[in-house]
Amino acid sequence: MSQSMQKYIDAFEKALGIEKMNIGVSLAYNSLPEWDSLGHMALVSEIEEAFAVQFSTEEVIEFSDFKKGLEILGLKGQNF
Amino acid sequence: MPLLEKPELVRKLRNFRKHVISNNGEIGIKQRGIDMNLNNACNLRCKHCFTNSPKGERAKERLSDEVISRIADEAHELGIFEWDLQGGELLLQPDKLFDSIKAIGTDRFYMYLTTNGYFMTEEIAITLRDLGINRVSVSIDSIHPKEHDEFRGRKNSWEKAIKALEIVQKVGLTPYLNITVGHYNATSDDVRALFQLSKDKKYTTLVNVATPSGMWNQVDDVMVDDDDKAHLIELRKEFKNVIRNLWNPFDPKREAVMGCNTVNRLYITPLGDVLPCPYVHIKIGNVYEASLREISENAFRIRQFRENSKLCLAGEDKEFFKNYMNFPGTSIFNPKDAFEIFSNDDVLPEGAIKLPVLND
Repeated sequence: MSQSMQKYIDAFEKALGIEKMNIGVSLAYNSLPEWDSLGHMALVSEIEEAFAVQFSTEEVIEFSDFKKGLEILGLKGQNF
Repeated sequence: MPLLEKPELVRKLRNFRKHVISNNGEIGIKQRGIDMNLNNACNLRCKHCFTNSPKGERAKERLSDEVISRIADEAHELGIFEWDLQGGELLLQPDKLFDSIKAIGTDRFYMYLTTNGYFMTEEIAITLRDLGINRVSVSIDSIHPKEHDEFRGRKNSWEKAIKALEIVQKVGLTPYLNITVGHYNATSDDVRALFQLSKDKKYTTLVNVATPSGMWNQVDDVMVDDDDKAHLIELRKEFKNVIRNLWNPFDPKREAVMGCNTVNRLYITPLGDVLPCPYVHIKIGNVYEASLREISENAFRIRQFRENSKLCLAGEDKEFFKNYMNFPGTSIFNPKDAFEIFSNDDVLPEGAIKLPVLND
């Protein structure tokens, strides 16, 4: 696993307070109670801090699942 | 319309989080929500009802959709991001509820309905979803149907509540299981079992602490004590899907308290009276006489509402109860006037508080 991927997964764990074993490609907004509206804001901020990037409002909205987050970060120059 | 299709809401949520973080994890005077009692008529007779619905108080009163629309614009301008429609039981008159929802402009708010679930159907749930409601909260008082039904004063209310949660989850709304926790049940196996049920079903659990108001006016022995509060924090950590409005929702360790939400979440009665929260029956203004901004800026002049309190003033702070809530006959329709019960020493001069306008 790349360092970037580890950082990405850590952000989910830290922001949503969920176990690593539950974090993966099937994870999506509202797929579990922790990833609700407020959890989403916490997650975006955690990722922004971890990767030193800023999400636009449009990107916050597009970020609807685990994979989409990787795509958004990919467009910001992150390699996974 | 899911949250992620509401850009204005996302913007306000981000602002709220930024504020809480920059304010040392405290809510301060940043406003977050509207709790709107659209109509107080109800089909149940709950022992703990804070609106006195079982007494039939003001069951016909209702805010007009025109006024609701104006309030929504004012709330949006203040950065308020969530809106809880409640009663009474609003599904007694679903068509009127739908009209009110349309008047709000749901694309700007995280919208939810608090209901006892008795009249929920799949058709209603789909309509709510399509009108922009995000979540439906259903209150349950016991894992045991008989106890819940006795508490609610109607047979089959437990079964209907459980079914309602299943329906809303099925159509894609976010289900919340609301539990009222007081000293009488905080550490009970019954409450723990409800928490477990909620987790197993992938619902979110919202804890409201019991307050000595409404049907329990002046009944302060329902208030949670320090041991009860500590137990709730343990449950928060253990179950993870549990929230309280005064807890900091952005704390992944699930320990931090953001502060009591008085005035941060305004409660509006069917008469247009504005209270600092659903349970503190103190009037801070009326929407027919002043804007939400004027009402809020005035109310935050009062020290008890402006300063951060780690305790829920209505349900945990016995001093606040003793000094400002312990009056016979008060209710949401007969509240005390804020500027009559707080001393001048506790109130800043007029114009002292200016709330920011919505910005990015």
